[in-house]
Amino acid sequence: MILRAEGIQKRFDTRVVLRDAAIEIGPGSITLLLGTNGSGKTTLCNILATLLSADRGAVTLDGEPVARKRSAARRAIGFASHRPLLYLGLTPLENLSFFGGLAGVASPERRAMELLERLGMAPFARAPVERFSRGMLQRIVLARALLTDPKILLLDEPYTGLDESGVAVVNEVLRDARERGTGSLVITHEPERVRPLATRVLRMQGGRVEEAA
Amino acid sequence: MKTLLAVTMKDLRLHVRDARFLATLALFSASLVLILSVAFGPIFNDPAREASATLWAALFFAGVLGLTRALDLESESGGGDALRLTGADPYALFLGKTLANLILISADFLLILPLVSIFFDVGNLVVLPGVLGVAALALVGYAAWGTLFAALAKGLRARELLLSVVLFPSLVPLWIGAVKMTNALWGDGSIDPVRDWIKVLAVMDVLGLALAAFLYELIQEATE
Repeated sequence: MILRAEGIQKRFDTRVVLRDAAIEIGPGSITLLLGTNGSGKTTLCNILATLLSADRGAVTLDGEPVARKRSAARRAIGFASHRPLLYLGLTPLENLSFFGGLAGVASPERRAMELLERLGMAPFARAPVERFSRGMLQRIVLARALLTDPKILLLDEPYTGLDESGVAVVNEVLRDARERGTGSLVITHEPERVRPLATRVLRMQGGRVEEAA
Repeated sequence: MKTLLAVTMKDLRLHVRDARFLATLALFSASLVLILSVAFGPIFNDPAREASATLWAALFFAGVLGLTRALDLESESGGGDALRLTGADPYALFLGKTLANLILISADFLLILPLVSIFFDVGNLVVLPGVLGVAALALVGYAAWGTLFAALAKGLRARELLLSVVLFPSLVPLWIGAVKMTNALWGDGSIDPVRDWIKVLAVMDVLGLALAAFLYELIQEATE
């Protein structure tokens, strides 16, 4: 599956954030996207995840505009944002089972436990998410992104708040995704953590995506 | 149906776990009833009319509190966006949230009703089924329109204010109908003189639910 964005423009009020931005995430690739704060990385990621619409330009999944098959696209794309995108009053198991059920996962509770075990969070499966540290929350966020076994994985600042074992878990997820043919986009301010895995390194500059030197 | 029930259960679970919110809602509603009963009393000119007005005014404002809390649950940590990312049917999500709001406001109604009856000395068991019927009709419409307007207010800074200011005038026919029918039941013991308001309330219910079928997805997807 190929997720492609072309000619993306986005402005917030008078501030132009993206000008003619283009990116492609192909099967089995790990694309690292770098850039300074406010360069538009998160905006582009939100557009790719279908959470935000572009003012101009097209986002396609396997050549078809995502807006035309939004529901299927959303289930094919796993998105871990730097916002939790979880209900803080629920436990990890409740959150993941709930979102999994809505996304059409066959046995959502079993899938949720499987992911919690894989990400080292099984002992906390029934504790309220609101009591978690940033790093623990980050693992649950990653688990939510993996619920539907997505073909495209978008990770916005996945290493924030993680200890060394957490970093290893994220990298293991990325390695596994690459082997399964899932295309990944990683936005981070800690490129050294993922650079050895990356198949391509890009940089956001002036609202455009460029090859990093 | 599975999506609808899952969303309803999720919202109710979150409400039940937030004891502070439930206590605030209950105290706020009871305080409103108490203040209005003191304002109208101690000798009531037209207890049925004053009690009906108090009941529905308290329910409206308490309902706004509930709708705002439901909206906060979706926005405080991005849960609403995560809902969108599941690819679930937006109308089922709307109905699920509407049902949760309906249950919450109905629970508040059941708390307020005996207070109003006691403070204003109105109502009896004979007209109780009629009052419950009026409430069912009015609260379905309130929950549907309220959920739709709450989605519209998403992301706005003064959403509580906007919700009150926009929602109340939009639902004027619903409030008038509810007050008139409750007044008739408590005053004359019969709804017959104002029976036509049943149709108005039913139309408001259907309109709210039907409009959402067209608008809810658009509202959800409308981004900056």
